[in-house]
Amino acid sequence: MPGVDYGREALDFIEGLNGYSKVPAAMDALERAFCRFGFETIIVTGLPNPDQNFSEMVLAKRWPAEWFKLYTENNFDRVDPVVRHCRRSIHPFEWAEAPYDPERERGAAEVMRRAIDFGMQRGFIVPIHGLTGYEAAVSLGGVDLDLNVRSKPALHLMAMYSFDRIRRLLHPTLDPTPRLTRREREVVAWASQGKSAWEIGEILHITQRTAEQHLANAASKLGAVNRTHTVAIAIRNKIINP
Amino acid sequence: MIHIISFANRHLYEDVLEEHFRLRHNIFVEERRWEALRKPDGREIDSFDNEDTIYLLALEGRRVVGGHRLYPTTKPSMMSEIFPHLAEVRGCPSDPLIWEWSRYFIIRDRRDGNLNLQLMAAVQEFCLAEGIAKISAIMETWWLPRFQDAGFKVAPLGLPGLVEGAWTMAALIDVSHDTLRSISERTGLPSVIQRKGPHLNAVARANLHRKRNDIIREIA
Repeated sequence: MPGVDYGREALDFIEGLNGYSKVPAAMDALERAFCRFGFETIIVTGLPNPDQNFSEMVLAKRWPAEWFKLYTENNFDRVDPVVRHCRRSIHPFEWAEAPYDPERERGAAEVMRRAIDFGMQRGFIVPIHGLTGYEAAVSLGGVDLDLNVRSKPALHLMAMYSFDRIRRLLHPTLDPTPRLTRREREVVAWASQGKSAWEIGEILHITQRTAEQHLANAASKLGAVNRTHTVAIAIRNKIINP
Repeated sequence: MIHIISFANRHLYEDVLEEHFRLRHNIFVEERRWEALRKPDGREIDSFDNEDTIYLLALEGRRVVGGHRLYPTTKPSMMSEIFPHLAEVRGCPSDPLIWEWSRYFIIRDRRDGNLNLQLMAAVQEFCLAEGIAKISAIMETWWLPRFQDAGFKVAPLGLPGLVEGAWTMAALIDVSHDTLRSISERTGLPSVIQRKGPHLNAVARANLHRKRNDIIREIA
């Protein structure tokens, strides 16, 4: 892509990621962004330990269904040289840079060969190493790629932030629960007992308007659409005890 | 505990600071091979170690086991002087409320434990207490998921580039109660920093170095 401002494009993409609240919509955005570099397949995945299955580790993917079936049924992750190199590398690399011996490692040669049948001729993978030894990756594949010294740093950063966004969407508990003030908690607790804003005001010696304001603040902090929803979220997150 | 050491109280910590300069040489030069930092006397000291630097050092007794430092971005910083190309897209910050975070280290036999999280908590706790809003950093890109794991909100300022063979990025990190809380939940410690002796007001100090033009622009 001549004349592309890779830096600006990547950073705008990264900032935009926060706007997606559902995995499919975020994956659509990833697909659109990586497609501009010629990538046709995307996988966002943890790397399995010996006692884990690859298919359970996948967070999100845009892979040909047939290839995923073939890959998982044959446990290709156990022999895939890209996966092996990914565990040892802290830097992103092209699939072709993953070393293996085609003579002695038949399984490795087979994965690399069969991937081509599914339009995954070339690829770029970004390893993720978490705090507690968690290993993961974002791997992108395609045929006609814009993969060069200028585009790689952009893809590197885009992939890392994509991983973080997808993981947070799948495990929202990673995001700290919003904190309500003592007053907001009290007001929500009384609302959960069926009290109206006027009654809560009387109980807490505040005006009805103030009680309503506390309820509205609590609702917006918790992302609730109305009072019932606020109470439901507060109970679910153990912010109040029913 | 992580001790806060500045120009104001360094007389209480001269031995500790000295040991920390030697540790930095061991770790950044001997171990990580940043040859540009090599010094004949075995003390890794650069132009960002001066009366405006604030050191956050993890001590066990008088023994230094890890640490990092903060430096005002209202002065020429590592990012603006050495790595401006890494912040090409969004630009290098220069703001009394933004401090540059660097030289993060942990001695070899403490790397597996809780100390890493405590050092991360320390920068958040200290900055919250001082009213510092954000921290800028030049960091190895592979650390990004580790910071994100700990609850740090890290925004890139440009694309990564190779520095001494490692992909490295410029970033701006939010200082927030949410981040501190999520780390504290993991460390089990509500507070990790300790202050002794007179203490320096970081933001006021940073303000002293603001460029005249920036101040005039703000007033006008």
